[in-house]
Amino acid sequence: MDIRRKILTWARIKSPWIIHFNTGACNACDIEIIAALTPRYDLERFGVQLKGAPRHADILVCSGPVTRQIECRLERIYEQMAEPKFVIAVGTCACSGGVFNGCYNIKGGINSVIPVSAYIPGCPASPKAIIDGAVKLLASLKK
Amino acid sequence: MIKALFSILVFPGLIFVGVLSFFAEFADRKLHARLQNRIGPPWFQPFADFIKLVAKEEIIPKEANSTIFQIAPVFALASVITAFLYIPLWDTRALFSFDGDVIVVLYLLTLPTMAIFIGGWYSTSLFARIGSVRAITQLFAYEIPLFMGILSAALLADTWSLYGITVFYNNHPLFWLSNIIGFFVSLIALMGKLEKVPFDAPEAETEIVAGSFTEYSGRFLALFRLTLDIEMVAGASLLAAVFLPVGLNLPLFARFTIYLAEVLFIVGLIALLRTIFARLRIDQMIRFCWKYMVPLGFIQLLINLVLKGILSR
Repeated sequence: MDIRRKILTWARIKSPWIIHFNTGACNACDIEIIAALTPRYDLERFGVQLKGAPRHADILVCSGPVTRQIECRLERIYEQMAEPKFVIAVGTCACSGGVFNGCYNIKGGINSVIPVSAYIPGCPASPKAIIDGAVKLLASLKK
Repeated sequence: MIKALFSILVFPGLIFVGVLSFFAEFADRKLHARLQNRIGPPWFQPFADFIKLVAKEEIIPKEANSTIFQIAPVFALASVITAFLYIPLWDTRALFSFDGDVIVVLYLLTLPTMAIFIGGWYSTSLFARIGSVRAITQLFAYEIPLFMGILSAALLADTWSLYGITVFYNNHPLFWLSNIIGFFVSLIALMGKLEKVPFDAPEAETEIVAGSFTEYSGRFLALFRLTLDIEMVAGASLLAAVFLPVGLNLPLFARFTIYLAEVLFIVGLIALLRTIFARLRIDQMIRFCWKYMVPLGFIQLLINLVLKGILSR
């Protein structure tokens, strides 16, 4: 790995900007994601910033099973993000569809629509688990 | 020739001001975090953000006018760096100076807002257009108090050049007290120029995604962020040069330290104010500027006119 790659990887690990997208969750995971961004956990010390625009973000944080209505929107938001981009599925429903799996209006987990880089199980996933998952995703960038 | 190029590109030009502006952004964000009882980002955060953004893919929307979309950030960056070269930093004389440069600097600091407007408008996103229109609406509100604050200080010094202003206030340090209203009016107007929190309606991320920057990604966004950081340093240097020219007779090292302290002081004031206040709606912002800031600017102008009348007797 030459020095240029090293600096790039360092910058990517130190500055993950996230965008939060609710793909049909019951709001419990969303509240936990917001809790992870509050001053109590202070994710800015790791360089994490919540961005409003998909164009600015590096990590798409999805919560909830993908409903049939949100499917094309999720795809569009994923397409709007600039490379390199990652997806984190937060909560059991986002990982696999959870208890909603098989419902007439549910497509399944996030990975049934777009590729997912990290899965964080839990109903809801606690803020500490979300931070841990994000850290593991960033650590995997080093390899 | 080589010396001029070195001063423009390295010191105190592009590279020096870039690094300084990253540290200013760090100071701003760190103070903001500490005032909110958080720990805040590490010192290298702005560098990491910049490198990451430069290396990211840049997307140009199909609908957008791609030439203007790409030129706008470069134009904004070029104009703030040019403005920075005309501001006296730790010396009475700037790198380049001529009679009337205070007006040129003020107008060069207006150009980034125009570039943000044009870039946002031609990216043809609805959110970007709303943000751009707000940016330009806001421009008409804060620009006049800023001009009044800075030009009334120039009026007392009886000169249109920044060199003359710094020399005058360095020779008569007590006149600093007569400009205290102007200093605060200019500081608040500067926050509007930088789109910091009470006046961040143009890029309100909770309502219009990211305002003018909605469609920008990759290195264009990096250039815009760098522009806003350098504008913060340039604005702080301008306020420091006009309102706080202290200790310009000291040796170079002491003057340099004083300059950095002044910039840090103004950045700290901006961080404090943006922590205290919440976002104003665009009409509230306009009303605030025209109802309170402009009259205060007039009072400052009046004080300096009377003072000048007394002095010239």
